[in-house]
Amino acid sequence: MGASVVIYGLANSAILMLAALGFSLIFGLSGVANLAHGGIYLLSGFVAWILVNKLGLPFLLAFPVTVAISGILGWLIYWVVLRRVRGMHLSEVIATFAVGVIILELFRYLGFVTFEFNIPVIMRGGTEILGVGIDYQRLIIIGLGILLALLLWFFAHYTKIGMALRGMAQDEYTALSLGIDSDWAAALSMALGSAMAALAALLILPLGIISINMGYEVLIWVLAVTVLGGMESTIGLIVASLLLGFAKTVTGTYFDPKYMEVVYLLSLVLVLAVKPSGLFGKFKELEERV
Amino acid sequence: MVVFVLVLAVAIILTGCGGQKKDTTVVEVKPIILGVPTALGTIEGADSLRAVELAVKEINANGGVTVGGEKRPLKIESIDTRESEPGLPVHDALAAIERLITDKKPHALVVSSFRSEVLLSSMDLIGQYKVPNIITIAMTTEFEKKLQTDYDKYKYNFRMGLTSGYLVQYLSNIMEHIGDELGFKKVYIINQDVLWAEGTAGGVAKWFEANGWEVVGKDSYPTGASDFSSSLTKARQGGAQVIMPVFDMPQAGILLKQAKSMRVPALMAGFISPAASASAWNTFDGEVEGLVNFIFEIGPIPVKAVPQSVSFFENYGKEFGADRQSKLSGHGPGPSYDAVYVLVDAIERANSLDADAIVDALKKTDTKGVIGRIKFNENHQVIYGFDPAETAIGAAFQWRAPGVRIPVFPGIAAESKIELPDYMK
Repeated sequence: MGASVVIYGLANSAILMLAALGFSLIFGLSGVANLAHGGIYLLSGFVAWILVNKLGLPFLLAFPVTVAISGILGWLIYWVVLRRVRGMHLSEVIATFAVGVIILELFRYLGFVTFEFNIPVIMRGGTEILGVGIDYQRLIIIGLGILLALLLWFFAHYTKIGMALRGMAQDEYTALSLGIDSDWAAALSMALGSAMAALAALLILPLGIISINMGYEVLIWVLAVTVLGGMESTIGLIVASLLLGFAKTVTGTYFDPKYMEVVYLLSLVLVLAVKPSGLFGKFKELEERV
Repeated sequence: MVVFVLVLAVAIILTGCGGQKKDTTVVEVKPIILGVPTALGTIEGADSLRAVELAVKEINANGGVTVGGEKRPLKIESIDTRESEPGLPVHDALAAIERLITDKKPHALVVSSFRSEVLLSSMDLIGQYKVPNIITIAMTTEFEKKLQTDYDKYKYNFRMGLTSGYLVQYLSNIMEHIGDELGFKKVYIINQDVLWAEGTAGGVAKWFEANGWEVVGKDSYPTGASDFSSSLTKARQGGAQVIMPVFDMPQAGILLKQAKSMRVPALMAGFISPAASASAWNTFDGEVEGLVNFIFEIGPIPVKAVPQSVSFFENYGKEFGADRQSKLSGHGPGPSYDAVYVLVDAIERANSLDADAIVDALKKTDTKGVIGRIKFNENHQVIYGFDPAETAIGAAFQWRAPGVRIPVFPGIAAESKIELPDYMK
């Protein structure tokens, strides 16, 4: 039983981290809380399905095409919707949430509600680790999740573009005075974050079938992870994913699976009540500083 | 120029006035309006509407409905109640039903409520407007109890779809069949944490305990759950020979895939909605092989012992295409198709469109349809059982390579015994 908790705890943690990477990237690098993340995640799944099943593209080709399309969509969301409310945080949240709902409900209106929407896994089959069976897809998610988290950290700390984006998030006016275009930076981070949402979708969605309500569920996951870990911290993202992933698995194994999904909401409430900036949040609330 | 324009205008007006006289000898036949207020955004609702359309097309092609000495066509008026959407309040769904009734003035409603709480609430609305209402999707057993609390008010409601009570009965009998055929007596129950699934799983659990089975464990998962490893691990460690799933959520597909990857040596037998339609083999890339799944009402699975179920399945495919046929939902379409014919039969026997006359005729219904023999009990619920010559039936099938659904229960519908999947041999 213990081995199963360890292995599936890791798998669930990797799924959470992968899903939240794009959201964390956008917020950390541009200060925008992109609540359209769930809509973009789900749209990526449906786009991949259409490319494979209706246009006949092989999945290995549909994969990068879908990621590119989602990236372009993120770019467009910034220029068409967000640019007008830049700096007005509440308006940014409302606008992105509205975009996400429009995407999800548009798919529902178009009839994407049946059980046929499935995208293929990268590798079929499974293996046994410590006597516990696990599918290759979950192992790939664990491996790629760790790799992408490291790449994100490297990008944000050791590349010119990444540091420019972080500078913009920390102090926009100073960054502007140094010649960093805030609109360009924000649009780029939206594009990169949306591309990462697509990447997460194409790895996670093949575990089951695509369903529209997953777009809303993913939003709860990423909010729980980023709020718990701290909105601007990659380390926080990893630690929060591990905490929530294992909490979910332990709850299901030793208590009652009925409460597995409650851990996200409970963590949100507890963190906001006790330490609103999160475990590794850098920009502490005034109440925490005083 | 002005004169020219005036002359032209007068000419146009006179031409319009001088048209052919209206042929007053042609009498317009008013159609009989059939209302379909349901969750059209669900596969059950959408497929049920299509089944109604198929029946209406057939009836109209044969001249329509004979009532009051004339033949009248049927006409469908549908409305999407959206009641399956997360967070939609019941009163919004009721408002949609009421709008359909007041705007389109249907002579009867078919398919109707998707959610049980909408059904129970709508019974008062139906009683207020006195419209015969044949329900084919919502499953609560509270329907029959409520009907009896004020029969004269609620008598306009009839149900032809399976109920959760009958679902418990079917699943129990399937398990008894598995026990008899394969000698299995240890089961793990995994169900969705919603009212109908909890009730069903709880009901079958009682049957297990009363009939010498060992329930190794029972877990409920919230809608949206994506990891079933804890239950599958416990099932494996507990030596469960059967896993009984009870789910209608899309994520239930993950359960099937995980069970395969975790190599749990147990027969999966129960109800997983995403794995019910013919297209599920391709959707799940064959990982449904060996699953024994239950279809609530036959029709979406053709059963040779009920020829009308075979012709319904074939005609649905001809009308809407092979793609839609392969995705036909296992709950709703069969009784929805039959509901139209039952209603037409009642109207013709009553020779009236008066609601009370239709209700009296419906009560006396005894006919054969896609779902088997159709008779209502004293609570206006179609009787389900195991012999289509006597009752309506549901059926269990097993998925076999290369993507075929083989009926395995009840005996009269079975075309094969249940086979152990390869991973259990």
